[in-house]
Amino acid sequence: MKIGYLAIPVAVVCGSLMTAGQVAQAPVGTLKIVSSLPRTGSANAQTNTIVNGIRLAIDECGGQIDGWKIEYQDMDDASPQRGNWDPTVEAQNANSAAKDKSCVAYIGTFNSGAAKVAMPILNRAGLVMVSPANTYPGLTKPGQGEANEPAVYRPTGKVNYFRIVPTDDLQGVYAANWAKELGVTKVFILNDRELYGKGISGVFRKQAEKLGIEIVGFEEIDSKAANYRSLVTKVKAKNPDLVYFAGTTQTNGGQIGKDLRSGGFEGMYMVPDGCFERAFIEAGGAENLNGRTYVTFGGLPPEKLTGKGAEFCSSYRSKFGADPEAYAVYGYEAARVILAGIANAKTKDRAGILAAVAATTDFDGVLGKWSFDADGDTSSQVMSGQIVRGGEFEFVKVLGK
Amino acid sequence: MRWRPGPIFIILALATCIPLLDQILPVELQLSEAVRGVFLYAILALGLNVVTGYAGLLNLGIAAFMAIGAYTFGILTCEIYPFQLGFWSALGLTIPIGALAGFILGAPTLGLRGDYLAIVTLGFGEIVQDVLKNLDVVTKGTQGINPLPAPTFGGHEWTADDEYKWYYLLLALLVVTVIAIRNLERSRLGRAWFSIREDEIASRSMGIRVERIKMIAFATAAAIAAMAGGLSASILSSTGEPSNYDFQISILALCIVIVGGIGSIAGVLVGALVMVGLNSIVLVKATAWMAAHGIGSQGNVLLSPNNWKFLIFGLALVLAVRLKPSGLVPPRIERAPQ
Amino acid sequence: MLDLDVFLQQLITGLSNGMIIALIAIGYTMVYGIIELINFAHGDVFMLGAFLALTLVGALGIEAWGPSGQVAGVAVLLVGSALFCGSLNWSLDRCAYRSLRKSSKLSLLVSAIGCSFICMNLGLFWGGVPMEVFAGGNAAAAPKDFPALIPQVNLLGDGFLRITPADLLVWAVTIPLMIGLTIMVKRTRLGRAMRAVAQDPVAASLMGIPVDRVIGATFFIGGALGGFASVVYSLYNNTIGFQMGTRAGMDAFTAAVLGGIGSLPGAVLGGLTIGCVRAMSDQYLELRWTNTIVFCILVLILIFRPNGLLGATRREKV
Repeated sequence: MKIGYLAIPVAVVCGSLMTAGQVAQAPVGTLKIVSSLPRTGSANAQTNTIVNGIRLAIDECGGQIDGWKIEYQDMDDASPQRGNWDPTVEAQNANSAAKDKSCVAYIGTFNSGAAKVAMPILNRAGLVMVSPANTYPGLTKPGQGEANEPAVYRPTGKVNYFRIVPTDDLQGVYAANWAKELGVTKVFILNDRELYGKGISGVFRKQAEKLGIEIVGFEEIDSKAANYRSLVTKVKAKNPDLVYFAGTTQTNGGQIGKDLRSGGFEGMYMVPDGCFERAFIEAGGAENLNGRTYVTFGGLPPEKLTGKGAEFCSSYRSKFGADPEAYAVYGYEAARVILAGIANAKTKDRAGILAAVAATTDFDGVLGKWSFDADGDTSSQVMSGQIVRGGEFEFVKVLGK
Repeated sequence: MRWRPGPIFIILALATCIPLLDQILPVELQLSEAVRGVFLYAILALGLNVVTGYAGLLNLGIAAFMAIGAYTFGILTCEIYPFQLGFWSALGLTIPIGALAGFILGAPTLGLRGDYLAIVTLGFGEIVQDVLKNLDVVTKGTQGINPLPAPTFGGHEWTADDEYKWYYLLLALLVVTVIAIRNLERSRLGRAWFSIREDEIASRSMGIRVERIKMIAFATAAAIAAMAGGLSASILSSTGEPSNYDFQISILALCIVIVGGIGSIAGVLVGALVMVGLNSIVLVKATAWMAAHGIGSQGNVLLSPNNWKFLIFGLALVLAVRLKPSGLVPPRIERAPQ
Repeated sequence: MLDLDVFLQQLITGLSNGMIIALIAIGYTMVYGIIELINFAHGDVFMLGAFLALTLVGALGIEAWGPSGQVAGVAVLLVGSALFCGSLNWSLDRCAYRSLRKSSKLSLLVSAIGCSFICMNLGLFWGGVPMEVFAGGNAAAAPKDFPALIPQVNLLGDGFLRITPADLLVWAVTIPLMIGLTIMVKRTRLGRAMRAVAQDPVAASLMGIPVDRVIGATFFIGGALGGFASVVYSLYNNTIGFQMGTRAGMDAFTAAVLGGIGSLPGAVLGGLTIGCVRAMSDQYLELRWTNTIVFCILVLILIFRPNGLLGATRREKV
C-alpha cells in the first residue's frame, strides 16, 4: 500500500512539472471528465477498480492535453438509502454534467438501467458518453431490444453514447459455442433477473438450442438468498453437464459455484464477464471453483495483453499495488478513448470532442485494435475464455474473431 | 387545531425562491433538482403519514404502491403499449388504481393487530417487486418502461431542460396534497382516524366503523403514494426497475414521517427536507467537494467519503429521535400517554 | 426412488436453513416480547458476528489446527461471536434505545433502523481490514469466503441423498440452545423476571424487578443467539458479506411473526416453516416465485390465525 500512497503525490508533482515545462503560460482552460458509477454499497468493489483505471489514464497524460487542464470528477449514482444505483441520483448526475459548461465527457454508467435514464439527458446536451460496463444490446442496436430502442435514447437523432464492451448478444453466443466445444450435451441455465443476466441467458439459451444442446432447466434466481442448496438439488436431479449462470459476483455468482460444489454437483460451471474479477474467486472459494469453472470475457485478460496492454498492467501494478481487474481495463480504456478524442478534436468543446470520439477508428487500445461503429458499439469482437485454476483465472483460448 | 400558517408559508416562500437563486449560482451550488426529490418524497411521506400517523397502522410497504403508480403510469402512457394516454389523464388514473391496490391489500388484513399488519405490508412490498420482475411480458421485467411523457401545456411537451417547470409543478402538487390532507385531517373522517389510533375499542363503541375507516386510510395512503410513483416515473421518463421501489424506500418514507413528527403535516415536510436533504444534497455535495479537492483516497476503505454514507445516515436517525423523540415538528394534538 | 430422494433432500435443506432462521428469529421475538420493538439492527448485529468469526479464524489460524482442532476452533468461534453480539446488542439498547422507553414505539423503531445502518457501515469497514482472510481487504464491499472448517462431504456415501457435517452442526448447535433457552425462560429467576416485564413493566418494577437490567439481559441473550447463528450460518453457507443482515433479518422477522411474535416455540416453528416452504417451492415450483409464495402463505396463515401459529390470543384491554 505504501507505494500507492507515495505514487499519487509523485505522479501529481511530475504531472505539474511537465505542464510547467511544456507550456510556459497558464492552461488555456479546463476540460472536465466526469464518471457516474455506483460508489455506495455492493458494487463499490468493481467501481473502485474502474475509477482507478480512469485516474491512471488521466495521470498518464499528465493531467493536460494541448495546454488544456483535464479535471476528473468521480460521481456516485447510488444513494445510501438504496445501497445501489438510484435513478433519481443518476438523473441528477447527468443533469449537473449537462449544465456544467466545462464538462466535456461522461464516463458511465455501470448498470444498463441507469444508462437508460442518463442517455436522453446527455444526448440533448450533446455530451459524449462512454460506458465501461453496459452490455444491454437495446441501448445501441436496433432490433435487439424493444421496437422503439435505441431511438428513444437519442432524442436529437445523433449518436452520443459509446461503449467499449461487446454486448450480451455476442457473449451469449460465444459462451454457448464454447460450451458445445467443451462437449456439453445437457445444460441448466440460471439468471439473476437483472437486465444483464436476463439478456445474456436468453441469448445463450437460443444459441444452445440451435447447437442442439439440451436445455434441462431454466431458472431465475433470487440474488439475495443466503444459499442455493435447494436449487442445487433440483439441478442435480436433472443431471446436466454444465450449469450456466448469467449474472455477476454481486448477484451471487460465487455462492452458486460454492453451493454446486458442496451440494455434490460434479459438472462444469460457466459464468460471463460480470464474474471476471478476483472477488468472484474470493467469494466462491478457490477450492470450489478450481478446474471446473469457465469464465467468458469481452477482450483479452490483462496478462495476455501485449504492447499498450502490457504497459497498462505494469503501471497499474506500480500505482495501486495490485493486479488490474477486467473492470479496471474497461475504465482505463474508456478514459483513454475520451482523452484521445480530446487530443484529436478540432475544437475543444462538446461538439468537437463528440465528433472526434465518434470518429475513433483503429484505436490502439488495451483491448486490442478497434473502432466505434455507427451505433456507438465497439468493433472489437475478441472474446476470451478463462478457467479458474489454482485460485487464478487462467487463459484458455480466444473465442471470437 | 388553530390554523397557524407561519412555518408552512415560510417554507413555501423559500421553496419558490430556489430556482431563481439557481440562475445566479454556479452548477455545484444549484439546488432545484435535488429539492425536487425532497418534494417527491414529501408527497410519498404525506401519504404514509395518513395511514401510520393518523390511523396508527404501521405500514412497511408504502414503496409497493409507489411502484404500482409508476408502472401504471408507464403502461398507460408508453408508446409500446396500446393505451398511450397523455400525462394528466394517466397521472389521474394512478390515483384510483393505487387506491384499489390499497383496498386489495387492506381488505383481508385489516383485522390484524399492530405489527402483524406491519409484516403483511412488508411482505406485500416484496411480492409487488417480484411480480413486476416476473411478469415481464406485461411489465418488461427489469428493463423498465421508457420513454414516458412529460406534461404538455399548449402543445409543447416538457423535456428535462424545462427543469424549473418541473420544479414548480411538483411544488404545486405538493401544496395541493397538503391542502387535501389538511382538509381530511379536520374532517369527520380525520377525527375518526385519530380516534381509532388512540383507542380502537372505545371508537367502536362510539359507533365508528373501524374496519371501514382503516380501509379508507389505507386506500388514501396508497393513492397518494401511487401518484408520487407516477410523477417520479414521468420525471425520469422511465419506470426504472422494480427494485428501485424496494424496502429501503419504504424505510426512508417511514423515517421521514417519524423524524419529522408523526401525524404532523409540517413535521413531514421538515422531515423530508432533513432526511432527503441530508442524503441527496448534503452528502452528495460534500463528497463531490471532497473529491474535487483531492480529499480522501481510493485505496483505503476508511478514507473514501462514499463509504461513510450509511453511517452518517444511521447516526442522523439515531440522534434525531434521541434529541426530539416526538419529531422535529410534533403535531399539536399530543397522543394520549400510553 | 429419485423422486423420494429429491423430496428428502429438500426437506433436509429446508430444515437446516429453517433452523438458522429460527435462531435469528428468537432474538427478534425475545426483544419484541419484552419492549414491543422490531429490532431492525438485529440482522446487522448478526452480520457483525460473522465478521468477528472470520477475523478470529484468521487471527488464530484455526484453519491450520487439523480436523479435531477445528472442532475446538468452532467452539471458540461460537463463544466469541455470542459474547460479542450479546455485548453489542446490549450496548445498542444502552445507548440508543433505553432513553426512548417513554417515547412512542415508532421513534424506538427509527432508532433501531438507524443502528442497523450504522452496523452495516461498520461491516463495510471491517471487510476492508488488511488481513489474509479478507483477501487483504482490497474490496471491502465484496462477499468474503468463509473457510469450510466443518467439511461439506457426504456422510451417506456416494448416493444422491446428502447429509453433511455442516447440516449436523446446524442441528447440534441450535436444538440444545433452543431447549436450554426454553428452560431458562420457564424455570429461572431471570426468566420469570423477563416474563413479568413483558406482561407489565410498571407492575414488575413495583414488585422490585430491575426492569432496565432485565431488558438489558434480554438484549444480551437475544444478541448472543444472533452470534451463535452467525457462526452456524457462516459455516453452513461459507460466504459472508456486509449486506447479509438485511435478508437474514427479514426472513427471521417474518418467521417470528408467523410463529406468533413473543413466543419462543413459535419462532422455531416459523423458521422451520419458512425454510421448508422455500425449499419445496424452489424444487416443485419456480425459484423466482419463492419469495412471493412465502409471503402469500404468511398472509393466509395470519388471516386464519391473526396471532400467528402459536401466539397467545391477547384480549385488548378496555
